Amino acid sequence: MPTVVVMDVSLSMTRPVSLEGSEEYQRKHLAAHGLTMLFEHMATNYKLEFTALVVFSSLWELMVPFTRDYNTLQEALSNMDDYDKTCLESALVGVCNIVQQEWGGAIPCQVVLVTDGCLGIGRGSLRHSLATHSQRSENNRFPLPFPFPSKLYIMCMANLEELQSTDSLDCLERLIDLNNGEGQIFTIDGPLCLKNVQSMFGKLIDLAYTPFHAVLKCGHLTADVQVFPRPEPFVVDEEIDPVPKVINTDLEIVGFIDIADISSPPVLSRHLVLPIALNKGDEVGTGITDDNEDENSANQIAGKIPNFCVLLHGSLKVEGMVAIVQLGPEWHGMLYSQADSKKKSNLMMSLFEPGPEPLPWLGKMAQLGPISDAKENPYGEDDNKSPFPLQPKNKRSYAQNVTVWIKPSGLQTDVQKILRNARKLPEKTQTFYKELNRLRKAALAFGFLDLLKGVADMLERECTLLPDTAHPDAAFQLTHAAQQLKLASTGTSEYAGYDHNITPLQTDFSGSSTERM
Amino acid sequence: MKIFSESHKTVFVVDHCPYMAESCRQHVEFDMLVKNRTQGIIPLAPISKSLWTCSVESSMEYCRIMYDIFPFRKLVNFIVSDSGAHVLNSWTQEDQNLQELMAALAAVGPPNPRADPECCSILHGLVAAVETLCKITEYQHEARTLLMENAERVGNRGRIICITNAKSDSHVRMLEDCVQETIHEHNKLAANSDHLMQIQKCELVLIHTYPVGEDSLVSDRPKKELSPVLTSEVHSVRAGRHLATKLNILVQQHFDLASTTITNIPMKEEQHANTSANYDVELLHHKDAHVDFLKSGDTHLGGSSREGSFKETITLKWCTPRTNNIELHYCTGAYRISPVDVNSRPSSCLTNFLLNGRSVLLEQPRKSGSKVISHMLSSHGGEIFLHVLSSSRSILEDPPSISEGCGGRVTDYRITVVPLASVIVKESLTEEDVLNCQKTIYNLVDMERKNDPLPISTVGTRGKGPKRDEQYRIMWNELETLVRAHINNSEKHQRVLECLMACRSKPPEEEERKKRGRKREDKEDKSEKTVKDYEQEKSWQDSERLKGILERGKEELAEAEIIKDSPDSPEPPNKKPLVEMDDTPPVEKSKGPVSLLSFWSNRINTANSRKHQEFAGRLNSVNNRAELYQHLKEENGMETTENGKASRQ
Repeated sequence: MPTVVVMDVSLSMTRPVSLEGSEEYQRKHLAAHGLTMLFEHMATNYKLEFTALVVFSSLWELMVPFTRDYNTLQEALSNMDDYDKTCLESALVGVCNIVQQEWGGAIPCQVVLVTDGCLGIGRGSLRHSLATHSQRSENNRFPLPFPFPSKLYIMCMANLEELQSTDSLDCLERLIDLNNGEGQIFTIDGPLCLKNVQSMFGKLIDLAYTPFHAVLKCGHLTADVQVFPRPEPFVVDEEIDPVPKVINTDLEIVGFIDIADISSPPVLSRHLVLPIALNKGDEVGTGITDDNEDENSANQIAGKIPNFCVLLHGSLKVEGMVAIVQLGPEWHGMLYSQADSKKKSNLMMSLFEPGPEPLPWLGKMAQLGPISDAKENPYGEDDNKSPFPLQPKNKRSYAQNVTVWIKPSGLQTDVQKILRNARKLPEKTQTFYKELNRLRKAALAFGFLDLLKGVADMLERECTLLPDTAHPDAAFQLTHAAQQLKLASTGTSEYAGYDHNITPLQTDFSGSSTERM
Repeated sequence: MKIFSESHKTVFVVDHCPYMAESCRQHVEFDMLVKNRTQGIIPLAPISKSLWTCSVESSMEYCRIMYDIFPFRKLVNFIVSDSGAHVLNSWTQEDQNLQELMAALAAVGPPNPRADPECCSILHGLVAAVETLCKITEYQHEARTLLMENAERVGNRGRIICITNAKSDSHVRMLEDCVQETIHEHNKLAANSDHLMQIQKCELVLIHTYPVGEDSLVSDRPKKELSPVLTSEVHSVRAGRHLATKLNILVQQHFDLASTTITNIPMKEEQHANTSANYDVELLHHKDAHVDFLKSGDTHLGGSSREGSFKETITLKWCTPRTNNIELHYCTGAYRISPVDVNSRPSSCLTNFLLNGRSVLLEQPRKSGSKVISHMLSSHGGEIFLHVLSSSRSILEDPPSISEGCGGRVTDYRITVVPLASVIVKESLTEEDVLNCQKTIYNLVDMERKNDPLPISTVGTRGKGPKRDEQYRIMWNELETLVRAHINNSEKHQRVLECLMACRSKPPEEEERKKRGRKREDKEDKSEKTVKDYEQEKSWQDSERLKGILERGKEELAEAEIIKDSPDSPEPPNKKPLVEMDDTPPVEKSKGPVSLLSFWSNRINTANSRKHQEFAGRLNSVNNRAELYQHLKEENGMETTENGKASRQ
């Protein structure tokens, strides 16, 4: 989940903070201090997160585009100038543009808005934006909710009392509401000082930036892993099951299946599964960067200790398979080898939608089992077949030759098929009656009895047009078919049964043909 | 997402009163004259559909699209109304398909124009519709059972689509009032019942249809809330294709559908098999398949809006598929499709192509000329899905490679499983098992003879590994240890060992070449001791490592043979196996077929050898000649610490 830090650089952020100490701080210094702490945490524990830095006043500017280079972000923090007034709406529009350009509309992003709670004055102030919210047209729609899945975290360089003394807090809460409730407001507990800012950012880190650690298990093989980005809780049905589902920290592999069988399944999200060394895991969270050399040698040692993830990754890659992993009750995902363009390869995990049957072509997950449980190997002795995909009980319309006569061309095609076959009787007797019965069934269902009469007339006419060379059977069959259609067109239950089929007239010309010869 | 929204239950109420037998006054030519026909034939007069036929085929089309895209959890109940209500099916999943409905409609037949209009009314059907909405579906029942004390969370909403010919606006109002009153009554009944559910929300869609060319007596009215439970909208539509178009629009609105037109589909011409023209096919699917376009407002993708259809279609370009492409795409959604024009030739060509198991990638036409693959059409077991592929930048780009992380430097993971290693550990073996094991051994022998590299993973290795013959030596030792550990299980296990030992006895020249100072006597001396050691020390890793080598050996061999099969290549060498059984393997013999005599004597020798301890000299002999005093060479500083040396029986 990429992060956009949106930093308020309006004049109000330069307001001094009264401190007992000698040094004088401004609110923007507190903000920079908090962000430094966030960036340091990410650099150590959340290295793969992309972060961008936007500053805004009445205008906005993208200071640092999405990057994993936290030094650059850090540097930008110390190079910020002071500008005029706060204009939140335009900054949020900017965030929309930046995120959509980079990631499109489907990737969830976290927006960390750092402000002092002074929401500007006049046009462009948040109060003004909210007041005019109901009068927006499509063209100048308010940027919230963000047009991508998002969390909006508002970090206030002010304490609750200060915000409550005006309507600032209400306005900020409106913002979260407008983002469909996705997000949270953080305020400084107690006096404004570095320590309290730290504790506020600490809460943000705990909420949004703690790495997700899990144990990957397969039989007696296990590995400690970090799953990145963190899997987010998922709501299946807001009405009957409103509690968000969270994935297990024990990720148990329950089986393996061919890539061809799982067949590019739709997934909620995908995540890197990174093995972590246990002893290193203990240090995680201290937030202090290790001495580089120490870390390197630790990495080298860890690299030489066999790890189940590497074994699993290699096996899946060699075999062209994925591992099915249990994420929770009736919730599964898959592990597979993913290679990026640079020939680097990785263990990846994708989450299916929770439910007993996330992929219709595999059927119910609970009914999958080892090959050895089957009476006969479902893949065949020579591995030349597959039990997947499962066939649906009912065929879809495009797979069952349904009759649709909404456009005249549909009806004309069906009539002409009958006519074409009528002219090739008796060779095409079977197809002729098949098409005839198809038309008959549809006409009866649609109550389109005039069509049956019409086609009967047509067949009678064809009969009169038969060339002299025609087989005598042709005339018999045409007359018989026309007569049957006419009977059906009366609609009487005797002749108009839906399941009744017109069968070919039983004729025997073998005698006469022998005579001719 | 809500499972039990209004679209969970749809009730169709179609008017079957005498006036519905009237013609829609839109003619259909069905007798199209074909080329090369006798001159002077007058085509039969065109026919026209009745209001009833138009209503029924339009509602069937609505159901067709709905069932294609939502085969589960979206249910239809079909009611026909004349002098009473005829309920044609139930909410059960088995009743939810076109064939059932068509058969039931055929049984009803067209309305009887001579029936007494006074007895007939659409009201019977509307009352039955409310009744049926109160009935619980399998899905609602299941969810309620599952939720136990939270059963009240299961909603009961529905939609009534009523197709009729109303007399006036006040007639329409009367129908609405009737539905509202009936809901009120039935909700009271349902409150006291375990089998019925109260209706929380009902959407009434009244469609007034009339013959083309007549003036409508009823005016359109957008959706309006009549009560907290009931909303109603009125559509006044001419019959014929106008009615079909209206229902097509409604099915898209009701089920959140969107349209995609696949363009540039190459299709063989019927007349000219060698040429192909490009066609377009329009598909309907859930609108989430366009989520990327909708949110980013990529309007330039929008194509033409067709025949007054209410929404634009998004155009995607066909990319000629590669064959046999088994790839795991990153797919963020898969949605069932339904062709708008299911029986047209382009549609059926596309769907048949997909149903045969091919997948097609779809490309966004971009002005910039850059190629962006955003979707894929693919069938899974007779159902076609539109897959949404991620086309934006990945947040996981440039990840650290697995070889750089924990365990990444370890090179000898034995990844695959082979017959021998998995079979030999069994308590008892079948003849087939023994054969499999022998095959594996012969393959290895063959590889060694050709001096093929052993397939040991070189990923992450730094510097040179052990020399090749050294690798083979280690492999043979591991293999022998593994097999020896199980010889006591059965006579068949013993036979695998025999085969192995026979194979390890190298032809003399080869042995000479590879000797590198290793002396037979030394091996002989140590063999017994080492075997014992091995049995104790035999670790799980040994067998695992072995499995890997063996399996890869097989793979390599297979590859080697594929290459040899090309016409320019030499004939493949004769099979080794039988030769290996020969107790005295001269190198020439490995080139030719084995005589029955040598085969037989080999068998006898093997059997005999089991009965006594073989003379050490003979065991180590080369062409039946044994070298004496080998230990002298040994003491001259040749390697002595090698354990697990091969021994002969």
